[in-house]
Amino acid sequence: MNMKEVVLRLENVYKTYHSGEVETRALRGITLEIYKGSFLSIVGPSGSGKSTLLNIMGLLDFPEKGKVFIEDKDITTLDLDELAKIRGKKIGFVFQQFNLIQHLTILENVTLPMLFQNVSEIEAQKRAKELLRMVGLEEKVLRRPYQLSGGEQQRVAIARALANDPSIILADEPTGNLDSKTGKMIMEIFKHLHQDKKRTIVVVTHDSYIASYGEQKIIIQDGRIISNHQTRKEYIS
Amino acid sequence: MKITLLLKIALKNLRTRRLRSWLTILGIVIGVFLVITLLSLSEGVKENINHQLRSLGKDIIFVMPGEESNLFASMVAGSKLEEEDVKIVERNKGVDNIVPMTYGGGVMRYKGEAKQVFLVGLPIKKSLEILKEYHGWDLKCGDWPDPFKREIIVGSQIEKDLFKNDIKVGESASINGVKVRIVGILNSLGSKRDDSAVYVDENLYWQITGTRTKEPNMLLVKVKDGYDPDKVAQKIKQDLEERTKRRRGSEKGKVMVLTSEKMGDIAENILGTIQAAIIAFASISILVGGIGIMNTMFTSVRERIREIGIMKAIGATNNTISLIFLLEAGMIGLIGGIGGTVFGISFAKIIEIYFRNHPTFHLKAYLSWKIILFGLIFSFILGCLSGYLPARSAAKLRATEALRRFE
Repeated sequence: MNMKEVVLRLENVYKTYHSGEVETRALRGITLEIYKGSFLSIVGPSGSGKSTLLNIMGLLDFPEKGKVFIEDKDITTLDLDELAKIRGKKIGFVFQQFNLIQHLTILENVTLPMLFQNVSEIEAQKRAKELLRMVGLEEKVLRRPYQLSGGEQQRVAIARALANDPSIILADEPTGNLDSKTGKMIMEIFKHLHQDKKRTIVVVTHDSYIASYGEQKIIIQDGRIISNHQTRKEYIS
Repeated sequence: MKITLLLKIALKNLRTRRLRSWLTILGIVIGVFLVITLLSLSEGVKENINHQLRSLGKDIIFVMPGEESNLFASMVAGSKLEEEDVKIVERNKGVDNIVPMTYGGGVMRYKGEAKQVFLVGLPIKKSLEILKEYHGWDLKCGDWPDPFKREIIVGSQIEKDLFKNDIKVGESASINGVKVRIVGILNSLGSKRDDSAVYVDENLYWQITGTRTKEPNMLLVKVKDGYDPDKVAQKIKQDLEERTKRRRGSEKGKVMVLTSEKMGDIAENILGTIQAAIIAFASISILVGGIGIMNTMFTSVRERIREIGIMKAIGATNNTISLIFLLEAGMIGLIGGIGGTVFGISFAKIIEIYFRNHPTFHLKAYLSWKIILFGLIFSFILGCLSGYLPARSAAKLRATEALRRFE
C-alpha cells in the first residue's frame, strides 16, 4: 500500500458537554487521519472521551470546534439530512449493545440501512442474505434478535454495518457484552474483514487485548491523544 | 425511501404493540361510529321528508297558520285557519281546487278494543281527484265513503296492525263514541303517518269532534294549469295579509302560503341545522379519539427512543423517522375510520329494520359514498394530525442521546 488514501480526517476537534452547571471537556484538540484499509484501535479509560470521539467520527455528533472530513468532504458544513445520508452510506456502526431493532427479523435488520439509501427491496434482501451467510447466520435470517445469543447478535450487527459497503467501520466496545471466547470470535471477523476484504476499521475499547488486533493504536486520555503508534511492523508502508 | 416501505414498517410497529394499537383504534371507531350512525339516520329522515314533499308535484300550494320561520312548531301547535281565509283562497283566479284538511287525535273502538288514532277530516268526494293524482290515493278494497252517511276509510296500516282483530270492510266501529261503518281500506301511501290515519268526510269530522266552526288545519291548493304556482302563492298571501290588516285586533296570527317546493326547502333547511348540531356534538368524541392517538404515539416515541437512535445511526433522515410515526398514527386513524363506518352503517341498518314494522315511526338509513369517503380521508388526516407532534419529537431526538438511553 503505497498511496495513503485518507478516509477520515479530524482537524483540531474540540467538544464540551454541558449538563446543568457541570461542564465536561470531552475532547481537547484531536487531530487524526485514518487511512484506507487501516485497522485502528482507540484505547482509553472510561471518561477519556473515546466514545465522544467515535460519535464525532461517525457523524452522530458535531464537534464544537475543528473540522471533520470524510473522503475530503468537510461534513461540518452539511445539514442534518445530508449528514444522515453520508452516515448511512459511508459509515457502518457496531455497538457494544448490538443495537438491533428487536421486533424486526435479523434479515430485516440488515436490509434496513439499504432501504434508507433507496436500494430496492429485492436487491437489499439479496445482499443482506449474502452478508448473513458471510457471518454464518444464513440459517437464522427469519429469527428475531432476542432469539439469538450475544455473539450471534453482534455478527448480525457486523453484517448490518457492511450493508451499504461503507468506507469505514466504527466499532464501539464490540466485545464489551460478550464472554472472552465469543469476543475473540468477533475480533477474528474484524481481522478477516481487514486482512482479506481490505476494510477500514476503527475499534474503540478499554481492553488492551482487543486493542492488540489493530495495526495502529491510539491512546486517549482526558480528551487528548497521548500516544499514537503502529503496533505491527508489517503494516507500515 | 419509498412510501410503501415506510407503510410496511408502520404497520409492523402497530402489530408489535397490538393491544395498545387496538385500544387506540377503538377510540376512533367509537367516534366515527357515532357520527356515521347519526349522519345516516338523519340523512334518511331528510331524504324521506324531502321525497314526500317533492312527490306532491309542483302545482300544489299549502296554506296553514303560523310562520315560515317556525314551520314545525306551527304544524305541531294545531292552530287553525278561519272560514274567511278559505273563502279568500277560493276566490283566487289561479286556484283550481282546494282540499281543506282538519286533523286531530281520536279514540277508535273496534270489537271491544279502544285505540288512539290520527283522525283526518276532508271533503273526500270533492277532493278525490287531487288526492288520487297527487297523494296516490287508491282503495285496496271497499268503497269511498258517502258524505251523508257515517262512513270511514282507514289507512293500510290500521287494517292489520292496530287492533287484535283485523279490520274488515262493512264492520262497524266507533270514534269518540260516534258509531261509524268502515267502508274502505286505502292502499299504502308510502308514509307511516298517512297509512295509520283514519279518514272521514269533513261533516262527519265536525260531528265526531263536536266543533261547530269549520276551521281546517290546512289547505291543499291545486293551481290551475298555466298559472305559476309561485305567483299564485304570492297573491294568496297578499290577500290573506290584507284581510288580517283590515281586521286589526284579531287574535289570529300569520298565515303561511307555501308551494311544495318552498316547503321542501324549509324542511331541508331545518333538518340540515338539526343534523349539523348532532354531528358537531358527535364529532367531539372523534376529537377525544384523536387525543388518544396522540397519547399513544407519544408513549410509543418514548419507548422507541433507542430504536430511533439506531435508525438514525444507520442512515435514516429526520424526515424518514417522522414519516414512520406519522403513517403509524394515520393508519390508526384510517383503520378506526373504516371500523367506525362499518359498524355505524350496520347499526343504522339494524335500526332501520327494527322500525320497519313500527306503525308510526318511519326511519331509513341513508348515506352517500361521498360522505363515507370523506369520513375515511378525514379519519386518516385526523390520525396524521394527532401524530404530528409525537413524530416531530421523534425526529428531533439526537442520535447520540437516543443511543445512550437505557445503556
